[in-house]
Amino acid sequence: MNRWIAIVYHLCRLGLGGLFVYAGLIKAEDTVGFARSVANYKILPYGWNYLVAASLPYVEFLAGLLLVLNRKVRPAVLVLGVLNLVFIMALVSVLVRGLDIDCGCFDTSGEGHTTAQWALFRDIGIMFLVVATYRLRSWLVSEKQG
Amino acid sequence: MSSELRRIVLETIIIFVLGAVLGLSFNYRMVMNAFTGKTVAPAVKVEVQEGDILFPLPVDLGEVQELLKQGAVIVDARSEELYAEAHIPKAVNLNMAYYEETLPAFLKSVSRDAVVITYCSGYGCDDSFEIGMRLIDEGYMNVHVFEGGLPQWRDAGLPVEGAGGQP
Repeated sequence: MNRWIAIVYHLCRLGLGGLFVYAGLIKAEDTVGFARSVANYKILPYGWNYLVAASLPYVEFLAGLLLVLNRKVRPAVLVLGVLNLVFIMALVSVLVRGLDIDCGCFDTSGEGHTTAQWALFRDIGIMFLVVATYRLRSWLVSEKQG
Repeated sequence: MSSELRRIVLETIIIFVLGAVLGLSFNYRMVMNAFTGKTVAPAVKVEVQEGDILFPLPVDLGEVQELLKQGAVIVDARSEELYAEAHIPKAVNLNMAYYEETLPAFLKSVSRDAVVITYCSGYGCDDSFEIGMRLIDEGYMNVHVFEGGLPQWRDAGLPVEGAGGQP
């Protein structure tokens, strides 16, 4: 039983960690482009979009890396959970405002919404992974101590 | 809060801070530029050579205001609806959808060496760039792109014209 739990745990943490290492790297590579994406959400004032664009990818990468290395797992997972929660709230805000986050100038209606909706589903899925990884880790740690 | 949980929360905060410090040190100049209002996108050098592709020059809000004072023509690249609702004062609407129809009038009234600035919905919106490129194709040599667009203009508290804004 423990074996299976350990396997699921490792799969969750590697999947989550790998995902955010990748996500962090991609965004860090094109910081200005990412700043544009953040600005599109029309949530933050001008300069803050750049602040977020500068720091967020590195936080993601760092947390993802820790997960991949199986170090400081629960703090890393909490970081990703918090980030993910913020993403989810931003997406909900975009959907509620009916914002077409892909410029919106000459798009056929509905395109922007689909993108935000899909992202929302994806992030909810990621949340499940976050919770699973955290709890499995807690369980495994307590098993070792018990 | 148990001591274990407290440790976990502390380490969580440390990861956030570490990541942020890392990111900010790598991108220090970019963030400083953004907060001091300077253009953040790398300015494209316009070196005119035979067969070269020219790009509209990105300009920031300060430069836009300066150019406008000197009589630059400002072009709104967004849809008619958005333009009607609110636009930068004196802006001319020239968009992709009605390009063929509106271009002739524009060509007649704006000379080829006029300083032109295009804008649209801000970062992430490429239409201002598109229209800028087309104007360059038409022979306009002084085309700029105001990347911050209407959002940045508005956020700065500057007046807008249109049905939705203050007249």
